[in-house]
Amino acid sequence: MNLTRKWSIVTAGALALSLVLSACGKSTTTPTPTPAPGTVAPADTGKPVDGGSLTWATASDIVTLNPLFIDDTTSQNLANILFAGLLNLDTKGNVVADEGALAAEVPTISADGLTYTIKLKTTPKWSDGQPVNADDLVFTLNTWKNPDVAAPSISSYDKVDTVKKINDTTVEVKMKEVYAPFIYTLTTAVLPAHILKDVPPKDLQKYKYGTDPATFVSNGPYKWASWTQKQQHTLEADPNYWGPKAHIKTIVYKMYADQNTELQALVKGEVDLVEAIPIASLDAATGKPDINLIESAGPSYDYFGFNLNADNWPGGFVPFAGKKTRQALAYAINRQGMVDSVLKKHGTLLNGPFLPGSWADAGTAKNYEFSVDKAKALLAEDGWKAGADGILVKDGHKFEFKLQFNTGNKTRESVGAVIQQNLKDIGINVILEPLDFAAWIKNNVTPGKYQSVLLGWALGVDPDAESIFSSKYFPPSGQNSGWYKNDKTDQFWVDGYRVTDPAKRKAVYGQLATEITDDLPYVFLYQKNIIEGIRSRVKFAEGDKPQLTLPYGTTYHIDHWWVTDGK
Amino acid sequence: MAEFLIRRVLQAVLVLFLVSIVTFGLMHLAPGGPIQMNIAPGQSPAAIQQQIHNLGLDKPVPVQYYEWLGRLAHGDFGTTFKAPIPVSALLWPALKNTLILMTTSWLITLAIAIPWGIYNSTRQYGLSDNTAALIGYAGFAMPAFWFGIIMQVTFSLKLDLLPLSDMYSRGQEGNIISLIQHMILPVTVLVVIGLAGYLRYARASMLDVLGQDYVRTARAKGVSERKVLFKHALRNALIPIITILGLDLPGIVAGATLTETVFNWPGMGRLFVDMAFAREYSVLMAITIMITVVVIAGNLLADFLYALVDPRVQVGARGGDV
Repeated sequence: MNLTRKWSIVTAGALALSLVLSACGKSTTTPTPTPAPGTVAPADTGKPVDGGSLTWATASDIVTLNPLFIDDTTSQNLANILFAGLLNLDTKGNVVADEGALAAEVPTISADGLTYTIKLKTTPKWSDGQPVNADDLVFTLNTWKNPDVAAPSISSYDKVDTVKKINDTTVEVKMKEVYAPFIYTLTTAVLPAHILKDVPPKDLQKYKYGTDPATFVSNGPYKWASWTQKQQHTLEADPNYWGPKAHIKTIVYKMYADQNTELQALVKGEVDLVEAIPIASLDAATGKPDINLIESAGPSYDYFGFNLNADNWPGGFVPFAGKKTRQALAYAINRQGMVDSVLKKHGTLLNGPFLPGSWADAGTAKNYEFSVDKAKALLAEDGWKAGADGILVKDGHKFEFKLQFNTGNKTRESVGAVIQQNLKDIGINVILEPLDFAAWIKNNVTPGKYQSVLLGWALGVDPDAESIFSSKYFPPSGQNSGWYKNDKTDQFWVDGYRVTDPAKRKAVYGQLATEITDDLPYVFLYQKNIIEGIRSRVKFAEGDKPQLTLPYGTTYHIDHWWVTDGK
Repeated sequence: MAEFLIRRVLQAVLVLFLVSIVTFGLMHLAPGGPIQMNIAPGQSPAAIQQQIHNLGLDKPVPVQYYEWLGRLAHGDFGTTFKAPIPVSALLWPALKNTLILMTTSWLITLAIAIPWGIYNSTRQYGLSDNTAALIGYAGFAMPAFWFGIIMQVTFSLKLDLLPLSDMYSRGQEGNIISLIQHMILPVTVLVVIGLAGYLRYARASMLDVLGQDYVRTARAKGVSERKVLFKHALRNALIPIITILGLDLPGIVAGATLTETVFNWPGMGRLFVDMAFAREYSVLMAITIMITVVVIAGNLLADFLYALVDPRVQVGARGGDV
């Protein structure tokens, strides 16, 4: 039983929300998908047929399907199937107004970057037959940004100043400030104003919309037909859907408490799709003609983070204070060795805060190739000398620190041991401290009270990560829990979202990556691959296959899939 | 008798009350809360506070307890916090599923263990007794999930005789045949594990009784062995077994978490673990209260059964210490 899997909570509401602490690094994102090693793509040139069912295995039940309050993977996956996006993403992570989007075109942004004009299609309908129109969109944006509603993803909406209905299909959004990631926020689901407009904002989370299939209304290719608590959901293709209708008639979303049982159900054919096969169990699904494995780098990374706040250190002496020392640690750690031995090559080395291959990655991040000699030289330059017991000493302080991570996460347990051994080789004593995830996040990570951590981020499609690296976001108001401060990068993060032109943004992020990987608030470690297993009876065109580097990429074009046997 | 019942019921109410206070307090002391995993990056402390307020989680713990108690008095277990799902919608189906699985396993376990244990007590260290001992060791030593996986791999994946997991095949929900097919593996696991204990209890308590003076007397009088066993010894041997039964009763309601997990059986054990991770206090409280009730009921039932098998025991007799 893999309990940590529950904590692999990913982005809220909109795809744009960027960063979530990732307990086990499972799950999905960004731009250009990295080509997957060992991919067997079940591309099929055959013609789609209608009917049949697909059984999708998942680890946990939904919390709610009200998009306002969704903050977990399962709920978001289902919502993605049930709701049409206002805008969608293409395989490269670009915002598009495709045939499944509610918007007729990609919104126009005024020259000053402050006004977004959104045009809706005239055809979209709610599953109860009501039209989806500007009133719904105005209601959606105003509700999301209303502090009384307390939507978890409010920070994606709170730069919106006013929302104005121009006519039944046109809405004008004025921003308080230029904020480039907002275009990704617009990949949101839209709320049914006719159902929710009379509910007091403070009562919305307690309102039944999102937990009762009988009264639920959505606007995507599938309808929420039934929910058996803790067992399964059934989604039925909506015969009255306004867009191109889905081929597979029924999607059964079935919960498995145990990953091993889930995998065996896939092998036996009781389940058609398993989202994340653990590397350790991969053998059970490999080499089976009726199971296709899709593997791709996931939109998350793990890092080894330093705490630079003197309050966390005896005598106020922060051993990581010197930049050369931090660089030395990066050289001393065998990151490629981690990818090869711990991840068994089902992962990719990562050097900076942007995912390799994503549009924001300009290739400027510095790669610290494993070198004990360079590490030792840098430490000596920074004033560290070996003590009598072989441990380095500076100003009378031993180089010794605690490394915290979540207990039960096998990957991090092994990676922690690698770091401990690598650093021991250069005279640094690391004390491993595995802790319960929930308590650890609450007591150590969120308030920034630790010496060093092994943790991960699940990223959204927008590269902005100001809230984890900028000194504006020290605890408790942000996720810069290592108390990292660098005036140059602080400014780059702001510059990065103050222009809406992607080319200009990319240039800023290029400079930022150079600076931050030289200064090193973290040692960036690796991206883990996601391995998905799908029965071969499920078919899709190459362009419709799961996009595992996008957030919730499994649901990408799932309405275009079909099954061969009609079952 | 009536006085005894009233006394026990009043005791039960007091115990329930104390258990609920302690559980409620402990849950709120544990780190994290229902919305902890609902906190999104960039959500300001003020926004988090607003969400906590909207969900009524900022009220003092005693107030929250009082409100919970008030609802319970009206038979209302409340709803989950993160979304308004009635606790009863989660609880009753899980309870029903667990009862189906656990009662069946328990009855089969007893039906096998008691006669077999008694038989073995009369033929110590024979083939049958040694086999039972082996099952006992295996049952104690094997982790339920491991045994479950072995059963799945063997009978479902390799031999393809039985379904892998769940209660019903798809589209056959409510079909009794499908249910029975799905029950065979988990019930086997639970029976083998349950047998380990009950076989030993039955055998040991029978052996104990068979060594008593009155059994020797009966045999000396020339009473047939059959009569000695079933008339003189059995009733007395059942008393300690009944104690164990009373203690095990809550397990039937609480479910078997590992077995349920491996066989994906949607029962109480899994519900409790899920809800504990989600910090859904109202569901946890409902389960705790229910189990407490069954613990008390189990003890009460054991008391009555004592009187039934042993006329010397009088339920409610003053001064009697049973």
